[in-house]
Amino acid sequence: MAVITVEKLSKSFKVKIKEKGLKGSIKSFIKPKYNIIKAVKNISFSVEKGEMIAFIGPNGAGKSTSIKMMTGILFPDGGKIDVLGLDPTKDRKKLAYEIGCVFGQKEQLWTHLTPYDNFKFFGAIYDIPESVVEQKIDEMRELFELDEFINTPVRNLSLGQRIRCEIVASLIHEPKILFLDEPTIGLDPVVKEKIRTLIKRMNKEFKTTIVLTSHDVSDIEKLCKRVIIVNKGQIVLDDTMENLKYHYLNKKIIDVKMKEKVNLEEVDGITILKDKDYNLKLEVDLKKKTIADAIKLLNTDNMIDINISNVPLEDIISEIYKDGEKE
Amino acid sequence: MLTEVKNQIIVTAQSIKFALQREMLNKVTFLTNIIFMILNNACFIVQWIILYSLKDNVGGYSFKQVLLLWGMAAMTYGISRFFFKDSFELSEIINSGQLDNYLVQPKNVLISCITSSVEVSAIGDMIYGLIMLFLFGLKPHTILLFLFCGLCGALVIVSIAIIFSSLSFWFGKTEMLANTVNSLMTNFATYPEGIFKGLVKILFYTILPLGITTYVPVQLISHLEWKWIIFIILGTIFFIFLAFFIFYKGLKRYSSTNLMNARI
Repeated sequence: MAVITVEKLSKSFKVKIKEKGLKGSIKSFIKPKYNIIKAVKNISFSVEKGEMIAFIGPNGAGKSTSIKMMTGILFPDGGKIDVLGLDPTKDRKKLAYEIGCVFGQKEQLWTHLTPYDNFKFFGAIYDIPESVVEQKIDEMRELFELDEFINTPVRNLSLGQRIRCEIVASLIHEPKILFLDEPTIGLDPVVKEKIRTLIKRMNKEFKTTIVLTSHDVSDIEKLCKRVIIVNKGQIVLDDTMENLKYHYLNKKIIDVKMKEKVNLEEVDGITILKDKDYNLKLEVDLKKKTIADAIKLLNTDNMIDINISNVPLEDIISEIYKDGEKE
Repeated sequence: MLTEVKNQIIVTAQSIKFALQREMLNKVTFLTNIIFMILNNACFIVQWIILYSLKDNVGGYSFKQVLLLWGMAAMTYGISRFFFKDSFELSEIINSGQLDNYLVQPKNVLISCITSSVEVSAIGDMIYGLIMLFLFGLKPHTILLFLFCGLCGALVIVSIAIIFSSLSFWFGKTEMLANTVNSLMTNFATYPEGIFKGLVKILFYTILPLGITTYVPVQLISHLEWKWIIFIILGTIFFIFLAFFIFYKGLKRYSSTNLMNARI
C-alpha cells in the first residue's frame, strides 16, 4: 500500500539576478530582472508502507524542496501529492499528526530546556495525554539510550546527543512516516553509526516509513533498500539499492604493488587509473574483460600485493549525477 | 473545534511559560530589564508635568487623562511585546525560513510562531501601565475596562505588525517598513488625540489604528459609553481577521530556506 504518491510535482522559485559591482546593483535597483528557477520539474513516484527510501542528489537538486512540499511546508506550483490519503496543501494540520520531521540543519528543540521538558512540550503540541507521553518517554529513553543526559539542558548536549533528542521529539506522537533531512550532518563516524542503528530499529519496531536525504553515501548504503536520485529537479534514477549495485557495479578496481616497473598499455575494457613507481591502479569493465584478463597483463612473479575491490558507491552516485547533468 | 481551541491555548500557554523560563535564567538581567523600563517610561512623564504646570488642557486632555493615555500606551505595548514578541520579528522569521518548524506541527502556524518568545522589559511596561491607572483613579470598572482595552489594543498592534511583516512573502525584506509602522504606533500613542487634525487623524483610524488602541480607550475609561466598547471589539476583530487573512494568503508563497538555525 502506497503511503506517499507524488504525481507530476513541480515548483519554481523567482530569483533576482544582479550583475556584479555597484553598477550592477544600481541597474538591478532601477530595472530588476528575475530568473525563474525550476527547482522541481514534474517528478512522480510513490513510497510503500514501511519502506526506507533514500532521496538523494547534489546540492540544489530539489530534494529538500520536494520533501518540504510533501510535509506541507511549501506549496507546489503544479502536480498532486497524497501522503497517507491527505493533501499537504489542504490538510497540513491533520497530516502533521501523522508525520515526523527531522531537519539536520534546523533545530526544533528549545535549547534552554532539558530533553525531558522538550518531549513533554512536543507531547502537548500533538495533544497526547501526559501519562501517555511519560510512557512514551520511558520507552524512547531506553531505545535511544537517553538516560545519561535526559535532564541536561539541550544547549549543553553534544551534537550527536542533540540529534538523538531531535529524532525522539519527532517520534513522540508515533508518526507513520518520518522525514529525515540530513540527520547525520556534522556528526562523527561513531555517532553516525549509532544514529543509523537507531533509525533501523525504529523502522523495524514501529514499522515507520522513512524518507531520508543525505550526502553521506554510507547512510544510504546501510539504511535504504530503495534510492531515488534527483538532479536538476528531475528524477534521474528510482531503483532498489540491489539493482543500483548490480547494474553499476560491473566495474572492478585492481590495486597492485609490483617489484619492478611495468609498462602497461591500455586495452579495451581495462583502464589505467594510476601508474606511479611500482604501484598500479586498474579499472576493469567486466562487460568487456575479466579479472583474469587483467592479471594476465601483469607479470604475476613480480607481484608483491594485490587488492580487488568494487567501485565505491559514492563514485557510482557521482557518475549518475554527472550523467543527469549531461542529459 | 472547541477541543482544538483548548489544545491551542494549552500549547500557547506552555510556549510562553518556557520562553519566560529562558529569560529568567539570568536573574540580574531579568530584574534590571523590568525596573529600567519602568524608570524609562517614568522619565517621559516629567515633560508633561512641566507642560501642565503652564497649561490646564493639551489637545482636549487633562493631566490625569494624559497619565491614563501613557498607562494605556504602556499596557498595550507591554502585552503585545510580552505575549506576542515574535510578531515584531515575523519578517525576519519568514525570510530566514524559520516558519518550517511551525509548519510541521499540528497547530496554528501564526499563533505558535508569534508566541514562541517573550520580551522581559515588557513586564515593566505592563506594571507602569497599572501604576498610571492607579494615579488616574482606581475604580473596579476602570480596572476591568483598562485590562479589556489593553488586551484589545495589544491584539490590534500585533495584527498591524503581522500585516506589514507578512508583506515579506511578496516583497522579501520588509523589516524596515514593519519596524517603522510599529515605531509610529508606539510614538504617536503618547500624544493627546486633539493635537492631530485632518489626514493624520484619518490614519489613526485606518492603517495606524491608534484610535482603537489608545484614544477611544481613554475616552471610554473617562466616560463609560457602550458604543465605544462595541467599536473596540469590532475594530479588534477586523484587524485580527485581516492579519490572519494576509498572513495565510502570503504563506502560500513561502519559499523557506536551507539556512541553519536553532531555537535559542
